[in-house]
Amino acid sequence: MLQLARRVMFALSLAGLIAALFRLRGTGGVPPQSGGWREVTDIDLT
Amino acid sequence: MRVVLAGLGTTGSHIARQLTQSPVTELVLWDPKPRRLDQVLGAVRAVASAHQTITTAKELTPATLGADVLVLGGPAGTHREPAAAALRAGSHVVSISDEADEVADLLALGSLARSADRALVVGAGFCPGLSCLLVSHAAAQLDRVDVINVYRAGTGGPACARQHHRTLKHSGQEWLEGTWIVRRGGSGRDLAWFPEPFGARDCYRGALSSPLLLQPQFPGAHRITARMAATRRDRFTSRLPMLRPPHTDGGPGAIRVELRGRVGQAVETVILGVMDHPSVAGGTVAALAALAALEGRAPVGASGLAGWPTARPLLADLRQRGVRVAAFGGRLTDLA
Repeated sequence: MLQLARRVMFALSLAGLIAALFRLRGTGGVPPQSGGWREVTDIDLT
Repeated sequence: MRVVLAGLGTTGSHIARQLTQSPVTELVLWDPKPRRLDQVLGAVRAVASAHQTITTAKELTPATLGADVLVLGGPAGTHREPAAAALRAGSHVVSISDEADEVADLLALGSLARSADRALVVGAGFCPGLSCLLVSHAAAQLDRVDVINVYRAGTGGPACARQHHRTLKHSGQEWLEGTWIVRRGGSGRDLAWFPEPFGARDCYRGALSSPLLLQPQFPGAHRITARMAATRRDRFTSRLPMLRPPHTDGGPGAIRVELRGRVGQAVETVILGVMDHPSVAGGTVAALAALAALEGRAPVGASGLAGWPTARPLLADLRQRGVRVAAFGGRLTDLA
């Protein structure tokens, strides 16, 4: 029983450590900072 | 130039109004509801030009159907028989139906249309219709089209809202690597960004007809999909009857088409969109398709608007009538 609790604690700690590393070191990317919708004009349609 | 317009719901009445702003000399209106017929007749006569004759028909007989063009503007599911009868009577036909089964049946009338030397324009409304024009215009910017994704949001009149409800409930087909795959309606959530101020909406699969119309025109594409915007309540209640009557007009709506392909060796993405009332924009598309058929610009046989040689003239005409297309341009180099 004690061994099971120890293993669970170890797994949770390891998961937390990995998550923290991703959180601190990883980047989710930056969304486009320019651009967007623009109207298609007559010039585009000629 | 004699045009018969069958079906005067929300979209149908917009088709009638648009046809009065055209060289059509005789417009015959028909609707199964006499009261609705009188209402639209009065409204259309008020804006018609002096050279135009606006009349009504009591029923759709072969004589009535023998016009230059028959525009089927009524609810989806009512277009098959009149389309076939009109082709046999020598008319061009424009249908706004977006029901997948009916679109497939109408496309199957291609041999009849070709033997009659007439055009059968299938899915000439908002989506499909305007969406097909956007796909065609976007595809012209690519050397090779690999992926086509179509998204739509909003509905036209009550009949369109009921069709939206049915569409979400039923399975639809997607084209994937050379074969049709059946996908469950309401699955495949995808967040689509429509032109502002419409913004982002969750979109889902359904019994949508766009892939059926686009695949014959883009046989080399690996993937052709379509999704429609829906809320959690729409998905939850899609298996039930409609719990309350739909709105008179379910607009505004929007379309987004996303094409991936190649220009030379480079992989490119082209995104086009529209934000408008589906009934207004769809009615305008149908009216312009009818005028193109009258002038002999519509290809003989049965096809959607993506099958036309070029979308630019129709998009330019739509722009003149107030339907504005937008292109999305983002720079991927900004990604960290």
